[in-house]
Amino acid sequence: MDVLDLARAQFAVTGVLHFLFVVLTLGLAPLVAIMQTRHVITGKPVLERMARFWGQIYVINYALGVFTGLVMEFQFGLSWSGLSRYAGDVFGAPLAVETMGAFFLESTFLGLWIFGWGRLPRWLHLACIWLVTLTAYASAYWVLVANSFLQNPAGAEVRGDHLVLTDFGALLTNPTLVFALPHVLGAGLFTGSSVIIGASAYQLFRRTREWEFFVRSLRVGVVGALVGILVTVGFGFAQFGPVGQIQPGKFRGAAVGTSLGFMILIGELALFGVLFVLTPLLFRDWLARWRWIHPLLMLVTPMPFIAAILGWLVREIGRQPWIVYGRLTVKDAMSPGLTPGMITASFVAFTAVLGLLAVIDYVLIARTVRRGPAAATLGAPGQPDPAAPSSPCHPQAAF
Amino acid sequence: MDILWLGVFALLLIGYFALEGFDIGIGMLLPVLGRTREERDRLVAGMAPFVLAGEVWLVAVAGVLFGAFPHLEGETLFALYPLVVGLLVSWVIRDAGLWFRRRLDGRAWRAFWGGALCAGSYGLALTWGLALAALVQGGPVLTPLGVGYAAVVVGVFAIHGRRFAAWRAGGPGRTGRALLGSAALAAVPVAVPLAVAAPWLLDHVAPSGTLRVLTLVILPCVPVMVAAQVWVWRAFGRRARAGVGARVPSFF
Ligand code: HEM
Repeated sequence: MDVLDLARAQFAVTGVLHFLFVVLTLGLAPLVAIMQTRHVITGKPVLERMARFWGQIYVINYALGVFTGLVMEFQFGLSWSGLSRYAGDVFGAPLAVETMGAFFLESTFLGLWIFGWGRLPRWLHLACIWLVTLTAYASAYWVLVANSFLQNPAGAEVRGDHLVLTDFGALLTNPTLVFALPHVLGAGLFTGSSVIIGASAYQLFRRTREWEFFVRSLRVGVVGALVGILVTVGFGFAQFGPVGQIQPGKFRGAAVGTSLGFMILIGELALFGVLFVLTPLLFRDWLARWRWIHPLLMLVTPMPFIAAILGWLVREIGRQPWIVYGRLTVKDAMSPGLTPGMITASFVAFTAVLGLLAVIDYVLIARTVRRGPAAATLGAPGQPDPAAPSSPCHPQAAF
Repeated sequence: MDILWLGVFALLLIGYFALEGFDIGIGMLLPVLGRTREERDRLVAGMAPFVLAGEVWLVAVAGVLFGAFPHLEGETLFALYPLVVGLLVSWVIRDAGLWFRRRLDGRAWRAFWGGALCAGSYGLALTWGLALAALVQGGPVLTPLGVGYAAVVVGVFAIHGRRFAAWRAGGPGRTGRALLGSAALAAVPVAVPLAVAAPWLLDHVAPSGTLRVLTLVILPCVPVMVAAQVWVWRAFGRRARAGVGARVPSFF
């Protein structure tokens, strides 16, 4: 592999790792928010326990989304400085808005939510998780604005040796964006719901003591999966129109064609299964009572993750050799002076660290699922925590 | 407009040093200030609610660099390649220490991730020092001056971390004003290079069309960003320590 291959592989590996975690974040956030809302309205304790348990899984997963995201953000400058030289005046804007207007707020509100259990007034604490959801969606929007610009450099003009922004509105309503955003958000919801279904099936199969908890969770999961898969498939097919016009022949290559075929296969099977099997079986909780079906549900949990990765492979491999479609090639965007030593060292470092942490993170999530809601620590009221600061000795000396 | 975005960039970077400086400082001093596991848990729990709200300042710095100074973004990050890689790896390891430390109860588990937290914090302080020195000198990533500067950054972060821990614990003389003082001290190592580099930064600012758009979209978010940050300090500051929340175990 030469330097270019290594730089591409590095970006692909971090990108895949990033999206594996982000797709679940996008789906679990609204589901947890809905659980907590229902608790705040009805006051039912089981709903609060659901928000804490699935919230803990959400939060553990979130960590890796951040780690991989940091590495991605800086990789543009490390490996692809030609991109910012040529298109930075346009491409940088949505990424800047993403960090300031979305991620900054998402992370701050998430901190308030995680550490605010039992501290913030109930309604304000609830508002935090909704703000987290809202800003996560905003984040997805701005990142996709940036990505769609690479697919179809709308709203920009060549001046001299680089692109300048001429029409911000066109950048924000890029045809390669408008159907991709709901497709991705639908995929997130479907993935989050599938994880809830799979984990609930595991607990029910083991004849959990938390029957009510997991039957309710299973219902939330199936409804979420139904909405998610309908949106995903609908907007999936809708994407063919604009992509066919803007990037004709995109799906012709073998790798792209195969990936696309498998994604669609997974999507259609999932649509069929959710619509005609899971949803009807919610009647009288048959889905929860029929134990033989639970191993199947566990087995298909990874499918949406696989489909999502295939989708990105289609979108990104399909536009090769361009980094900015029709304007700048990936090769020309590589940082001049990048040596095999530099890229190999950073590749090994990033992949080793992130790969290891990803595995640990999944083990922690699996363990949280296995131990069940009684062991969830997020927001768990209990003994006075020796680690929590004691009552103030000098209240006047507040910051 | 150019000046506005230079100001935003400077404010975010200085804010990062002032607000993350104490988290990094506590991470470095963890084995020193926390002799027992309970003490270490208390130290980490004290800084925990502030970490997420603090490290986003650096993410925003990178965003503004990309949006308002796109040509510098590629140039400087690439020039500092090994340091940026080191900084990122340190950052990830520090954060992993925080997120994973309390997920399991075993002694070895906690010790390992406590070690990651400490090592990552040192890595962050050192790479920042080296990077700032290299930027000012416009030269190689490892120089005697750089090493000295890295030691300075480690030093001011350690002081800031110590002050913060004392402020959290309460006690006479451990006032918010003292903490503000160490925050200002922690910001000096970045404020000075920023002042030196200001004309150079202004030379590389994005064209006015791009800046106008950024201003239009980001300005309305600024009050919300400020409010969220203030909320964090009000919710988890010293006044808020008693009550039900004290019975919820810290997540970090
Ligand atoms: C019948 C089902 C589906 C169809 C027709 C479909 C169609 C498409 C198409 C045409 C693209 C490429 C767009 C481009 O190159 O710009 C795409 C991308 C993608 N797909 Fe699908 N897809 C389906 C199911 C799924 C499922 C089940 C998931 C995940 C749960 C998924 C996740 C993605 C993702 C993450 C992308 C990349 C972002 C994007 O372009 O939207 N897709 N899909």
